[in-house]
Amino acid sequence: MLNQIVEALKKRTDLAGWTVRQFQTREVQVYAVPRGIESQREVDGEKYLIDVLRNTSATDGAPAVGSGDASLLPGENIGHAIDQATLVAGLVVNPVHGLPGPAPFPDVAICDADLQKDASAVMLDVMERMRAAAAKNPDVRLTAAECFGEVRNTHLVNSRGIDAEQESTQIDIEFVLHSQKGDRESETFDAMTRRRVADWDLEAAIEDRARYTLDSLEAEAPTSWQGPVVLRHEALTVFLAGDNLNGSVIQTLASAESKYGGFSPWEVGKSVFHDEVKGDPLTVWANSAMPFGTASGCFDAEGLPAQRVELIRENELVTFVASQRYADYLKIPSTGAFGNIELPPGKMPASALLVEPYVEIVQFSWFNPDTITGDFATEIRFGYLVKNGIRKPFKGGQLVGNYMEALSDVRWSTEIGFFGGYLGPHTARFNSMKIAGPE
Amino acid sequence: MTDMKLPLALAELRPALGEIVGQGLKRAPYFSILLSSNHGLTIVVDNREERVTERPPAAGTVLSAFDGATNFERAIGGFNLGKIQSAARDLVNGISFQKYTPQAEPERRGDFVTPVLIDPLEMSTLEKLDRCREVQHRVKGSDPRIVNIQVIYNERNEHSVFADTNADLAQRVQRVNMFLVVIVAGEAGEVRYDYRAKAGSAGWEVLTWSDEDIQRTMDGALALLSAKRIEPGEYRIITTPGVSGTICHESFGHGVETDMFLKERARAVHFIDKVVGSPLVNIADDPSQPGSYGSYFFDDEGRMAAPTQIVENGVFRRGITDRYSATALEIPRSANGRRQDYSRKVYARMSNTYFSPGTSTLEDMIAQVDHGIFLDKWSSGMEDPQGWGIQVTCHYGHEIKGGRITDRMFAPIGIAGYVPDVLQSITAVSNVLEIDGGNCGKGHKELVPVASGGPHLLMTARLG
Repeated sequence: MLNQIVEALKKRTDLAGWTVRQFQTREVQVYAVPRGIESQREVDGEKYLIDVLRNTSATDGAPAVGSGDASLLPGENIGHAIDQATLVAGLVVNPVHGLPGPAPFPDVAICDADLQKDASAVMLDVMERMRAAAAKNPDVRLTAAECFGEVRNTHLVNSRGIDAEQESTQIDIEFVLHSQKGDRESETFDAMTRRRVADWDLEAAIEDRARYTLDSLEAEAPTSWQGPVVLRHEALTVFLAGDNLNGSVIQTLASAESKYGGFSPWEVGKSVFHDEVKGDPLTVWANSAMPFGTASGCFDAEGLPAQRVELIRENELVTFVASQRYADYLKIPSTGAFGNIELPPGKMPASALLVEPYVEIVQFSWFNPDTITGDFATEIRFGYLVKNGIRKPFKGGQLVGNYMEALSDVRWSTEIGFFGGYLGPHTARFNSMKIAGPE
Repeated sequence: MTDMKLPLALAELRPALGEIVGQGLKRAPYFSILLSSNHGLTIVVDNREERVTERPPAAGTVLSAFDGATNFERAIGGFNLGKIQSAARDLVNGISFQKYTPQAEPERRGDFVTPVLIDPLEMSTLEKLDRCREVQHRVKGSDPRIVNIQVIYNERNEHSVFADTNADLAQRVQRVNMFLVVIVAGEAGEVRYDYRAKAGSAGWEVLTWSDEDIQRTMDGALALLSAKRIEPGEYRIITTPGVSGTICHESFGHGVETDMFLKERARAVHFIDKVVGSPLVNIADDPSQPGSYGSYFFDDEGRMAAPTQIVENGVFRRGITDRYSATALEIPRSANGRRQDYSRKVYARMSNTYFSPGTSTLEDMIAQVDHGIFLDKWSSGMEDPQGWGIQVTCHYGHEIKGGRITDRMFAPIGIAGYVPDVLQSITAVSNVLEIDGGNCGKGHKELVPVASGGPHLLMTARLG
């Protein structure tokens, strides 16, 4: 059907450009509850997305471009879908922009070979490993778990000659560990995404969460705190990379779309900070070519090749992340999609960042800063106050502050880790953050 | 009467579903089919560009075989009869089902359509685009500090057909929403924004903007340039219906989804028929509420929509269920079995969840507060069913001093606390009921359209 769509698009003389993407997916989903397997699902999907560009004109007669799109399921009417997309494109008046042309694509590793071969067996094995790991600790129980494994094939063709195909895999797991001591109950919920199973140490992850679950039984509400706050591993990843509901502040403010829309005050060649930087200088790459990065791919939705883009160097913005459209608008180079976030190693070993007293936040309820202003007031699901050699668990309280202010006074560890959507220091010490306690 | 406009592929398949269900039942104790087609449109118009895009479509068939212990499903993109018949055979032939007798259900048949006055499916794209342009034009250029104005329109066109032994149901649910976003920049380059939204299970008739709506959005954005962070602490607060709804949604919405009971994740399971709030607190979930954004006629498991009284005069009565959790827990079902789309499983999910109105007037409530905060607008929330902690973030709030709202503005403001403590502190409930539409995730995924709301509430909570 892809060939039929491409042939039909090639015959259209009223289009300034077009892109068609074919997606074929197969997914296995396993859901467990305490009484057994709640649900087992197999999901197949195939669809085609067509994007077209058409020359239009502004009210003053200036040349303009309109875009339109349409989707198709196998067997649906191709001509009708192209007509619809073309009609819509004719209504829209935007500054002139184009489509990317052919370019070499990097060979980015984004597949789990085992999952490609037998997704069902891999996901049942992951579920079994989670159960076995949880069973090692008699004081906690795995009360819910979900394992999803997807194989996705994407084939992109555009009017400028790009014809590219890639296959990717993705594994999502969620689990809940529960514990009880007298009337007190506690749980740890976690969700993780990777391209391949080998990028997880599932047993270690479950062991860590089991410890948090047990410590959580002893946790009290925190007192208010102004001082060093340490984020490590997954908590640091969420802080830097955001999650699937909320992108990160850096991703928003460094995007050409935000710049064009007036959302981002950042300027190329200028510091991304308003105030003096007291901590380590900030250097960031937006890396869509990171091997096994959850936001990696050989090419993006427009067909732009994956890149490792130097975004911020020593606090100064180097470039905006730009699709072809916004690159044309702002007359800057296109970079393709943001991809994953990467930071260089810091200058101090993690052990040197753990100087007492400090607060370590292990898990937020939901770290969701305002991605435009950077302000946040987010509940802490679980953490430790580390003082006088004692790690005192707490839950509740709110971390209150501003994202860029926090990044202006942080020290990064020399040790790095890979966390799916983030590669960089695994420990960060924010020197002065505020926690609002309940008193 | 609004036209059903059932997509041709669904209409053609529907007559064959009974036979497929019959085949499935030869091996499975319970078997059902859902045909689900979600399409939509998004239009964004701002000062610098326009975008008209299809919402990512999701259309496919779900075959479910249930034996009381496990729900086995095959989900197939699209509506190809041959593929569905083949998948149904594969599904039931590959499984050793346990013996199970499903609970008897009444016969349900019928076609249901969201009543709309101005039907999005009858309008041309140009007409919708022009209406968005018109709203955007009404705000444009009013203040030099305004750097952009966005109008965002979304429509969701949902069609589903459900069949099991006792059901042959079809529905068209039409949802629309529109956001007006005003972005401003201060002298130091700081960027702030305010927004307002309209939403409903309805047509364009609910997307009208008064001059006051527009002016308040602009005023809100400009005022945010001088807003301060609030001093963390405990405050007497008055919540607007939107903020009340978010508290309701995160506490006695997510907290009483009974799949969470089954997973031992919900503290509410220990509070059935116990006091959880002040006697002024009444909370319901009602998918049958006309016009609200989270409404539907039957859920994704063929259960007819009906209200559930969750909290009655401060006492927790019951949760909301899907088939699996109701079966496992041996509790009555409610019509809350919902899936994001055909590619995802059903969970117990909210529809329209709200605090019921009381008898106080807002003016009287404000007059009762000597020093407190009026929480104007919510921006996000997250559930904590096990810990029953509240995390609701407000875009901004105003100071209340001496029984009056002042111009002093704080942003953003986080609300925290233990749910029963916060609900116990409610001392007045206003006599209005307003419901906001939005999307709700289960944890960080499984997005479904919902609504939440209520009246203004006067209570005590920790802010930060």
